[in-house]
Amino acid sequence: MSTLLTHIAITDGKIKRSSLEVLSRCKELADANGHTVEAVVIDANASSYTDDIQKYGATKIYTVEDPVFKNHMNTPMLKALVNVMNEVQPSLFAFASTESTKDILGALAANQGAAVLADVSSFELTDGGIKAKRPVMAAKIMSNNEAKGDKVIVSVRSGSYDLAENPVDAEVASISFSMSDDEMKATLKEIISASGDTIDLNEAEAIVAAGRGVKDEEAKNLISELAGLLNAGIGASRALTEAGVYDPSLQIGQTGKVVSPQLYIAVGISGAIQHVAGMANSKVIVAINKDPDAPIFEIADYGIVGDLYKVLPPFIEEIKKIKS
Amino acid sequence: MKFYVCIKMVPDVYAPIQIKDGELIMDADRMVLNAYDASAVEEALVLKEEHGGEVEVVCIGPSKASETIRKALAMGADKGVHIQTTGEEEYDSGSYARVLAAYFGDKEFDVLSLGKQSQDTDSGLTGSMVAELLDLPYATNAVGLKADGSTITVKRQGDAGQEMIDLPTPCVVTCSNDMNEPRIPNLKGIMASKRKPVDTIELSALGVDESELSAKTKVLSYEEKPAREAGKKYEGEPDEVAREVAQLLDSEANVL
Ligand SMILES: Cc1cc2nc3c(=O)[nH]c(=O)nc-3n(C[C@H](O)[C@H](O)[C@H](O)COP(=O)(O)OP(=O)(O)OC[C@H]3O[C@@H](n4cnc5c(N)ncnc54)[C@H](O)[C@@H]3O)c2cc1C
Repeated sequence: MSTLLTHIAITDGKIKRSSLEVLSRCKELADANGHTVEAVVIDANASSYTDDIQKYGATKIYTVEDPVFKNHMNTPMLKALVNVMNEVQPSLFAFASTESTKDILGALAANQGAAVLADVSSFELTDGGIKAKRPVMAAKIMSNNEAKGDKVIVSVRSGSYDLAENPVDAEVASISFSMSDDEMKATLKEIISASGDTIDLNEAEAIVAAGRGVKDEEAKNLISELAGLLNAGIGASRALTEAGVYDPSLQIGQTGKVVSPQLYIAVGISGAIQHVAGMANSKVIVAINKDPDAPIFEIADYGIVGDLYKVLPPFIEEIKKIKS
Repeated sequence: MKFYVCIKMVPDVYAPIQIKDGELIMDADRMVLNAYDASAVEEALVLKEEHGGEVEVVCIGPSKASETIRKALAMGADKGVHIQTTGEEEYDSGSYARVLAAYFGDKEFDVLSLGKQSQDTDSGLTGSMVAELLDLPYATNAVGLKADGSTITVKRQGDAGQEMIDLPTPCVVTCSNDMNEPRIPNLKGIMASKRKPVDTIELSALGVDESELSAKTKVLSYEEKPAREAGKKYEGEPDEVAREVAQLLDSEANVL
């Protein structure tokens, strides 16, 4: 019997659903193979999340609590994770794939001499490690991978697994942490955040994504109105984040976020492979584009050929009617 | 300032790909400089133009990878280092990181930069691995870089916002392609690149035993992604098709 440990990520005082998806998967694998499933939460208020975490089946929850974790910084995060691995000795340490995870995954694996697979879309246990599928070549192809060793680290794309509630009475244990100023290798000077009140794209059930076709305030307003109506997150192609029209954290694609909502509405987006790499796993894709040959139509379930300025108003109008 | 930029030769993701018996069959002529690495080279060149110094590119790969080094030299890098491999071994991020750490162990520099991920595998692990192995401060997913004396200020894209981070030199930075638009080499650059020095190094000279690099992770096979079937295209009066699709999203797709 060994321990499958899941890292529970916190952003803006909330548990990231994608890390509960990973915990749900670990619980399923642990039950099927007679392993233990545990979780760790590292945050300035770590202990306040344990009640919610135990709903997903972790029998032991480790907390690492220190004000230094208020904002993500790789040096303290790495130190905490190394402490956790040394203390818990998990055979598998699973993360949700986020920017913060990407920042430390390699360093943690190098520190621990662990095998690591990043950004997988599914994984299972084998005798000596895991097998996992990863999209490669801008997500045009799937690769079947194996990671072997007594320590394996994996990060999982959001939306890969469903949440499964399995409430237990978990034991809570804190792992001590302290860090002196001279251990901090880098200094965080400032956080420029523009998207404070927008819906987290990784958690959103619906996303309205804007591309280069969205040029002016009028088009932006239509996007916001549609998103508001659907309680959707707003995403953007690189063409628009680069142009400063939308915040860079809203970029979807190979370089940006990988999302898999129930509904993805691509407005004025051509469907370049690097954009598609981040959204092709959405359940239902709607594309609105005036070019009938735009590649986005090859993957859209519903393709509307037309000018977004003419299509969006009646589209919004009709959805309002349906919703009321 | 001394900049080292690690670059990698990768298959062009736009090239047609076939899978036969679980193996990838690609056009061998369509290998390119990893787009994220090109941004790292560009940024080093810009900082060199501002502060003076030298930009040296380091590439691990088979002999063909020399083309990738020439491309970076044509952009304006001063020197190249080619750590030659036979091209048959399967390296994972950990193997690359170990070779790079062995090479840089005794080097002096201000900034060691890499692309934040490789365009073909999207693993994004090597940069922070190298930083950890060399015990250096680092930042990943940089979208902006400034140098000021012995401090490098990195603007990095985090989950919710951008983080401004000060790193003391020497440090490691991984670069996003959202950082800049890499310059296209002009004829003069291409001609000049032919005269620039490229050192070729064997792994054994780095004290790295290839058999010890055996990757902890392996690609067992490749397979097609289940294709997403193209749905229906609705053309016609904007007002009508918009209303029709909205109705279908409710009644047929059930997503409203
Ligand atoms: C290594 C690498 C990584 C990358 N990563 C990403 C990434 O993560 N995310 C990403 O998005 N891109 C990424 N890109 C860039 C990508 O290749 C494309 O350049 C980008 O996605 C294009 O954005 P777009 O579709 O909005 O713009 P365009 O390709 O310019 O398309 C605009 C579309 O809008 C349509 N349009 C214009 N006006 C209207 C109108 N009034 N009504 C309706 N339709 C209209 C046009 O017909 C066109 O199809 C990456 C590129 C590289 C090389």
